[in-house]
Amino acid sequence: MAGKIVLCRCEDVTLADLEHCVSRGYRDIEEVKRYTGFGTGPCQGKECLAAVASQLAVLTDQPPAAIPPFTSRPPLAPTPLRLLARDPGAHRFADDPDRDRERSE
Amino acid sequence: MRLSGVPNLRACQASCAAGAEVEGQNAFPSAEVDLLGAVDFLFSRGMDHHTLMTGSSVLNRLANKVVRQLSGLGKLPDRPAAELPAVGVRSVDVCVIGGGPAGLAAATATARAGRSTILVDDQLRPGGSLRTDPRTGRRAAEGRWADAVTAGVEVLARSTAIGYFPEDDGVLAVSSPDRLYRIHAASWIWATGGYPVNLPFPDNDRPGVLAARAVGRLLVDHGILGGDKVCIIEVPEVAGDAAALAAALREAGAEVARIALGSATGTRGRSWITALDTLHGKVDCDLIAVAGIPAPASEGPRQQGCKVVLDPTAGGFRVVVDEHGRTSAIGVWACGDVTGYVGPAGAAEHGARVGMNVAMATMAVDW
Repeated sequence: MAGKIVLCRCEDVTLADLEHCVSRGYRDIEEVKRYTGFGTGPCQGKECLAAVASQLAVLTDQPPAAIPPFTSRPPLAPTPLRLLARDPGAHRFADDPDRDRERSE
Repeated sequence: MRLSGVPNLRACQASCAAGAEVEGQNAFPSAEVDLLGAVDFLFSRGMDHHTLMTGSSVLNRLANKVVRQLSGLGKLPDRPAAELPAVGVRSVDVCVIGGGPAGLAAATATARAGRSTILVDDQLRPGGSLRTDPRTGRRAAEGRWADAVTAGVEVLARSTAIGYFPEDDGVLAVSSPDRLYRIHAASWIWATGGYPVNLPFPDNDRPGVLAARAVGRLLVDHGILGGDKVCIIEVPEVAGDAAALAAALREAGAEVARIALGSATGTRGRSWITALDTLHGKVDCDLIAVAGIPAPASEGPRQQGCKVVLDPTAGGFRVVVDEHGRTSAIGVWACGDVTGYVGPAGAAEHGARVGMNVAMATMAVDW
C-alpha cells in the first residue's frame, strides 16, 4: 500500500482524509477544517492552509480563486499569557461599567 | 519540547544556552522509544475520529480517557514566571512587519525619507530568506540589517506580530521575549514573506524530510551540512533556488540528486531517512530537502482586512496589491513574497520600491 501523504503535520491530516471528507460532501474550507481538524494545531494553518486549499480546488473542481482562506484570529503565534497579563488594555473591560451592563443584558 | 521547565516550546525556534535542560514531550516513554507509534500500526489505513470507538459506550469512555492523556498538554512550568516590565508603546509613521529582504529594504527606504520607522521580525536575527539562500547568505543579511539601523530604523528582533486590533485607531500587538509592545502607525507594510511548505508525496513525514530552506539555512547561516547524500524534491517554479542549493551542497562535499515532485513515490527508513523511491528506482540518501513554493504569510494582513486570493503558482493565499504595493485596506501596503513568491532578489527590489512609494504617499506625522 502506498504511504501516507501528510498535508497537515500538526493534526496528522492526510490527502486520503481530505478525499474522504470531500466524498462526504464537505467542499467549503471552513467545513473541511471542522471535519478534518486541519489548521487547528500549533501552526494554525501556516504550513498547511495553502496545501489543503490547493488540493481542495483540484478535488472539488473549483477554480482556486473561488476558495477563500479560513478566518485568521489573534494570536498569530503561540504567546505566553504572562505577556498579555502586563497589558493594561487587556484589563480595561474589567472596570468598564458599559461592558458589564452589556454582559448582564 | 520542554526547555528549562517551560513546556510547549518549538525546538526549531527556541535558542539554546549553556546549562539549559531540554526534555521531549508528547511521547511515551520517550521521543527515542515512543510506544505511541503503535497508532500507525493499529490504524495503518488512517483513523476517522468521527466514528472512532463510538460503537460501545464503555469503550468510548475508556478511549476518551486515554486520548485526553496523550497529547498537547505538557507539564506546567516548575517556577512562576518572572515579573515583566511594563508594556512598550510605540507611535511611528511606518511599521514594517517582517525583516527579510523585502522588509529590510522597505524600512530602510522609509527611514531614509525621514519617516519614523519600526521593523518587527520574529527570528533570532533579521534577514529572513537571505539567510537560507546560498546566493545571499549571512553577510548580506547582517549588512542589510546594519543599513536599516544606520538609516534610523528601530529594529525589534525576536518579536512576533501576534495580532492587529482595530481599537484605538488600530494597534499591532507584538510579543518579545520579555515584554509586549503596542504599536500605532500611520502606514503599515507587510513583508512577512512565505513559509516553507512540505510537498504532497507518499511518506512525506519521516524524520529526515526537511524544507529545502531549512537545509539552506543550516548550511548558509550556520555552516552545517545536513547530510552526505541529499535528495532535493522540487517543483518547477523554484528550480532556480533548488539549483543554487544543490550547487552549494555539492561544494560543501555532499552528493545531491534533484528529483521532480511527480517522480517521488515513497520514502524509506524508520528513525531516519535511508532512501527515496522514485519512478526511476531507489535513491539512497540521508536527507530529503523539499523545495516547494513558499506559502505567503498572509494571516496578519488578513486580520487587517487585506484582500487575498488563492494562487497555487504564487504559493498559496497571496496578498493582492496594486503596482504601487497598496493592498485593499487603507494605509496598508505589502511587498515581497507575501504578495506571491518572487525570491530574495525580487523581494528586495520590490521592498525598496514599495518603501519609496509609502514615503512619497505619506507625510511625516508629528506624534
